[in-house]
Amino acid sequence: MVEGLFLDAAGMKALGAAIAISVTGYASAIAEKDIGTATIGAMAENEGLFGKGLILTVIPETIVIFGLVVALLINQ
Amino acid sequence: MSRPKRMTRAVIVGHKSILKETIDALHDVNLFHIEDFVEDESGFKISKPFKNAEEVSKKLVKIRSIANYLGIESKKPVVQKTDSVLRELDTKLNELDRAISAKTEAISQLEIELKDMEAQKREIMPYLSINLDFEYYRGYESLRVFAGTVKSSLEESQISSITRAYELYYDPQSKAVVLFVAKNDADKVYEVLQGLGFKELRVPERGGVPSELLRFIEQKEAEVTRKIESLKGEIESLKAKYADFILASDEVLSIESQKAELPLRIATSENAFIIDGWTPSEDYDKVVSVVNSATNGKAYITSLEIRHEDEDSVPVEYNNSKIVAPMQEVMDLYSRPKYTEIDPSSAILITMPLIYGLILGDIGYAMILGGLALTIKKLVKSDSVQSLMNILIYCEISAIFFGILYGEFLGFPLASSHTEHGVVPGLIPGWETINLFGGIGGEVFTFPIHRSHMIMTMIGLSMIVGLFHLNLGYLLGFSNVARNHGMKHAILEKGSWMIIQLGVILAAAGYLGIGGSALMYVGAIVLVLGIVMLAIGEGIAGVVELPSLMGNVLSYARIIAVGLSSIYIAGTVNDIAFGMIWADHSQIGFAAIAAICVFMLGHGLNSVLSIIAPGLHALRLQYVEFFGKFYQGGGRKFNPFGYIRKYTEE
Repeated sequence: MVEGLFLDAAGMKALGAAIAISVTGYASAIAEKDIGTATIGAMAENEGLFGKGLILTVIPETIVIFGLVVALLINQ
Repeated sequence: MSRPKRMTRAVIVGHKSILKETIDALHDVNLFHIEDFVEDESGFKISKPFKNAEEVSKKLVKIRSIANYLGIESKKPVVQKTDSVLRELDTKLNELDRAISAKTEAISQLEIELKDMEAQKREIMPYLSINLDFEYYRGYESLRVFAGTVKSSLEESQISSITRAYELYYDPQSKAVVLFVAKNDADKVYEVLQGLGFKELRVPERGGVPSELLRFIEQKEAEVTRKIESLKGEIESLKAKYADFILASDEVLSIESQKAELPLRIATSENAFIIDGWTPSEDYDKVVSVVNSATNGKAYITSLEIRHEDEDSVPVEYNNSKIVAPMQEVMDLYSRPKYTEIDPSSAILITMPLIYGLILGDIGYAMILGGLALTIKKLVKSDSVQSLMNILIYCEISAIFFGILYGEFLGFPLASSHTEHGVVPGLIPGWETINLFGGIGGEVFTFPIHRSHMIMTMIGLSMIVGLFHLNLGYLLGFSNVARNHGMKHAILEKGSWMIIQLGVILAAAGYLGIGGSALMYVGAIVLVLGIVMLAIGEGIAGVVELPSLMGNVLSYARIIAVGLSSIYIAGTVNDIAFGMIWADHSQIGFAAIAAICVFMLGHGLNSVLSIIAPGLHALRLQYVEFFGKFYQGGGRKFNPFGYIRKYTEE
């Protein structure tokens, strides 16, 4: 078994996957937070903006999907 | 794939003497979208509303404020005759108005009384523990009375050390103090009291013992509350009695007011009027004949050619069958198509439930949610709720289909599966998992598809679904551009994207050694060709957008990602619930009941999540990835002049 810094290879893989998911999760959350707040503000002015707001809010979600794909690839 | 209904621009011209007949006819036929006239230098002006407009809107305001106050909701309609409603309107409206204002006035009077008594009670409360008649608090010449509360506790010795001429009432619990002391010593005593944080309270004006006063006030309070309740009950019975009348007269008055105010929206001169607007081309003849018969042919109607630059302002009416119609809600949530665009309702009728089903894919949840949707559809008659429930039903049908493919029921596998730990039995005895062929990364593709055992394969499949979905978008975009700007633009703007994909696929196949390595170079050439076409078609902005194609395709990985999260939640709930039952061997013990609770709550929660998560993600894949390829939206709603009657008839 190859030794990593603190963990063996399997452990480092799991850690890598965890970092991939959690950091991208945070990134999506921060981006969506800002857009979501602005969207709700806009919707208070005009209800009809719901559809557009929803789309803009969920766009950064792709970041965490990338993280998921990377995490799965690491564990392949 | 449908386009919005063809529209005809029509203009109606006539003498003002037939304006009313024309308006009545247009309103009844409910097919004519009127363009508001904006005053310009042509000399035409907007007209004044009909004479009855002011009276009608006054009554309408009154009836709506009453309806609002009573909380009248739309309900199963009792259809009434318009003329009988109009005949009774004035007397009934006055009667209702009088009854309600008398009752609300009485209620507000009683509520003031109630507040007053509340204040009196608050005043008495501190003196309750001392319970000394309020008459004794005043009228002394040589005595000073301190009445109030202290913060820290008071010892009698503190007073007796100053003077012996005193009488102390003190409640250590509420820290209420009433102290009678000779005037000579009053200042010293006051100093002591201040040291204890004394706060003086007002002594109520009235005489009497506090406990008796309190009882008296409480009795009165109960009486007043009873009166208010009975008045509210009477208002409630008014609501039941007049609900039909209010709904019907609101409708009649709304119609009258729409008609009476139309002259404000049309062009008129001294003697003539012009009504300009749109009607679906298929209904043009009907509008002509209705107006002609109402005015004995005195009105002149003609249709106008739609100029190319006006096409964006044509009002848009969907042209879909009843099955596709619910999807129009999804379209409107985003934006109505433009007049010149393809209406993708029928495309998302297939793709949205398909993706929802691919994500959820569980027979149990699909049946729970499908049942829920059917029940709500029966109970709530509102149009938008009906459409939403229809969409949900479409989605659940697809989820049942994929549930069978995946072999899942509330997170339990239905078929047995062979794993490293031996054969794990499924819910249906005798249904065995069949290995079909190898998947990606050493996984085996099976039937039923155990999603959690072939994640990489499913990611690959999800992206293939994505590729098909995106290319459907490019095809629709191709058709839009070809129609509006010609074939050359369509090939450069939308076709180039498809050629780029083809190039990538060829190159990838060559790289992996499928069909010879020469294929790799062919693919590269095709790719470059595609990029050049894109650069010509969309300019540098198109080339900058290139990486987004990969992002779009990868985004479809959410199909399996969100699906797995649902499976894991369901699986965890099942593990906890069954773990609890097995821990306790008695048949129906506490653990079994708790296990049932966990099972119900857990799956209840996951059912709700099963609407939100797959629903939103399926919707997002339509709005962002799919629509991004071809759709612009921003069409104006076709809003015909008229009214859909519910509570009245002619």
